[in-house]
Amino acid sequence: MLEAIDLTKRYEDGELALDGLTFKVEPGEIFCMFGANGAGKTTAINLFLNFIPATSGTALIEGIDVAKDPLKAKRHVSFVSENVMLYGNFTAVQNLDYFSRLAGKRTLKKKDYAEVLDRVGLQKEAFDRRVKNFSKGMRQKLGIAIALVKDAPNVLLDEPTSGLDPQSGREFLEILVQMRDKGKSVFMSTHDIFRAKLIADRIGFMRRGRLVMMKTAMELAHEDLTDLYIQYMEEQPAQPSAALSA
Amino acid sequence: MLRDIIKKEILDNITSPKFVFTFLLCTILILLSVYTGVTNYRAEKKEHTASLALNKKNMESQPNFSSLAGIGVKVSKPPQVLGTVVNGIEEAVGRVAPVNIVADPNLVDSKYSSNPVFAVFGPLDLMFIVKIVLSLFAILFTYDAIVGEKEKGTLKLALSNEVPRDRLILGKAIGGYISLLLPLLIPLVLSLIILLITPDISLGGEDWGRLLLIFLMFFLYLSVFFSLGLFVSARTSRSSTSFLVLLFIWVVFVMVIPKVAVITAGQIRPIPSVHEITAKKDAFLQQIQTESQKGYLDWVQKNRTDAQKDPKAFEEKFRQFLQNYQQEMTSKIDENNSAIERDYQQRKRAQQNLAINMSRISPASALTFGSMTLAKTGVNDFDRFLASVRAYKPIYTKWINSKLAQSINFQTGEQPKISLDDMPQHTIEPEWLSRSLVRTIPDFALLAVMIIVFFVGAYVSFLRYDVR
Ligand SMILES: Nc1ncnc2c1ncn2[C@@H]1O[C@H](COP(=O)(O)OP(=O)(O)OP(=O)(O)O)[C@@H](O)[C@H]1O
Ligand SMILES: [Mg+2]
Repeated sequence: MLEAIDLTKRYEDGELALDGLTFKVEPGEIFCMFGANGAGKTTAINLFLNFIPATSGTALIEGIDVAKDPLKAKRHVSFVSENVMLYGNFTAVQNLDYFSRLAGKRTLKKKDYAEVLDRVGLQKEAFDRRVKNFSKGMRQKLGIAIALVKDAPNVLLDEPTSGLDPQSGREFLEILVQMRDKGKSVFMSTHDIFRAKLIADRIGFMRRGRLVMMKTAMELAHEDLTDLYIQYMEEQPAQPSAALSA
Repeated sequence: MLRDIIKKEILDNITSPKFVFTFLLCTILILLSVYTGVTNYRAEKKEHTASLALNKKNMESQPNFSSLAGIGVKVSKPPQVLGTVVNGIEEAVGRVAPVNIVADPNLVDSKYSSNPVFAVFGPLDLMFIVKIVLSLFAILFTYDAIVGEKEKGTLKLALSNEVPRDRLILGKAIGGYISLLLPLLIPLVLSLIILLITPDISLGGEDWGRLLLIFLMFFLYLSVFFSLGLFVSARTSRSSTSFLVLLFIWVVFVMVIPKVAVITAGQIRPIPSVHEITAKKDAFLQQIQTESQKGYLDWVQKNRTDAQKDPKAFEEKFRQFLQNYQQEMTSKIDENNSAIERDYQQRKRAQQNLAINMSRISPASALTFGSMTLAKTGVNDFDRFLASVRAYKPIYTKWINSKLAQSINFQTGEQPKISLDDMPQHTIEPEWLSRSLVRTIPDFALLAVMIIVFFVGAYVSFLRYDVR
């Protein structure tokens, strides 16, 4: 389970990136977070991984306060970051092997790696090729495979579908659904409204560090998400930038 | 987990193109340097033996003691076997010191003076390779150690696991250091084998001890740049910045500080030039010569009557006078020279020490001075040699003066054949390893302190490093 309680982050330069963010992702649930560029999605994920300290509020993974016991909390979470480059001199399998070991999985065999890589849709010829020459989408798949191998009960994904072709995107959604069915809590930041609507159990909209809307899939079943998104992003005209452009 | 990190770090380095490049260049340069060192040493040793023999033959072929006194004796310094790895100032300073009654002994005939083009680039010895090339490699292996992983996004990915940061930096440091040593080890072992099998080179037990300490110093020096690289890469957020900063520090350490220190020491503690010293000595020599001429004439004037009365007794008296008088005059010269020299050496040493101590903030200087001391090819060893020759001079002068006086024959003017059997020989006490070690303690300590400071800096910086 992932839980944010009144999470606030003000950067050193005074930028308020998160402003009292509160949400919860239950086991067996996919939560998709939308928001314009700079809304604070990545910041929220960074707080969950203790990469940066929160100004106030708490982030909990499996009930463990991330700020208090980061190492123990990280044991229970897999992470897919946006455009990770990985080790260019290593092959896909070597990269996967290293990160699996860091994740505490040391008994995996070459066969297991091949299976996972196959599952994320990486072509077989690429398994033993150097990652240096991989395309963005191929690297993204490898990143997903790394998260899959860790097999933690919570999954944090930062724009995982960027760079994936339609077929791989579809396969990726299947993987997420399988994860949910295994009872994992999945938190995904994304701009891909179309795909998210297919699988999300709940959807949140973020604006300037605040959660401005949160609805379940049931509630959204008959709504057009794009319209809703634009409506929520434009509402509340208290922004100086909106006033200027008007 | 630490083992996984170390393994990954080594594998990552070994599979990178820079590793192959480093390995090839290291092998070529190290072997080349040891090869030239060995060839030079053998040539110099041959030359040394030949010049000893020639000198002896030359002296033996002199018809009498006055011509022997005219050519004097040449003391030459044997080449140091460890000059094969740390050439020091072996080539820059002459290794032959002519000793005769008048002139003050000095080292002449350096390789550079006979072939100045060598002086432009200096020796290509192992120490030079380590100081310039390998230190750059150490930077090349570390400049992106941390900041590079941040750029690749792998730092975030690694730290999203239950991986303590201290474990990660420790693993990276150990793995990185091993991969830096790998390309060095093979050529270094090969060099040792070359030293072992080359016929004219015989390393005694003490030499092996010295060689081991020199290698230890090399590794410490490279560790300084290695930990410095880690430190800077944990303090920058772009690898290009890290590389530029490191390059700048390298230039300051290796190129700027040693030169500036020498120049500054020259400004703070100026010493008279060698020409001034020589002029001073010459002036005194001239004065003594006129004085002795006069004293000699005076004596003859005073004792002229005796010569007519009893020529035999006069001859004996004259011989006695000559010997004493000659001795008196030469010891006056020696005393004056050594007084001037003592003062000059003292001031020179003060300046040298100031320069050495100021430049020691740079690890490159610590390496240079430390390894030269251990190889016995440093300034100090040449000073010691020259001092021993200067101490030998009065001993030689006394011997030749007595021979000269005894061999005067007033009747026939004939002089007896020379014999070198009882000629005193020049000797020098070797510098013991323990003594050299004591003198290199500051260098070892400085290198160790720098390693610790930079590594702790890297460690602390990484614990707070912004991994995003
Ligand atoms: N290190 C930082 N220092 C100062 N401000 C920052 C820093 N990192 C992010 N910000 C600011 O915080 C806000 C939120 O950034 P964040 O990266 O979380 O947005 P995002 O929702 O992930 O955007 P995107 O969709 O483009 O990925 C932005 O206004 C950004 O400028
Ligand atoms: Mg983002």
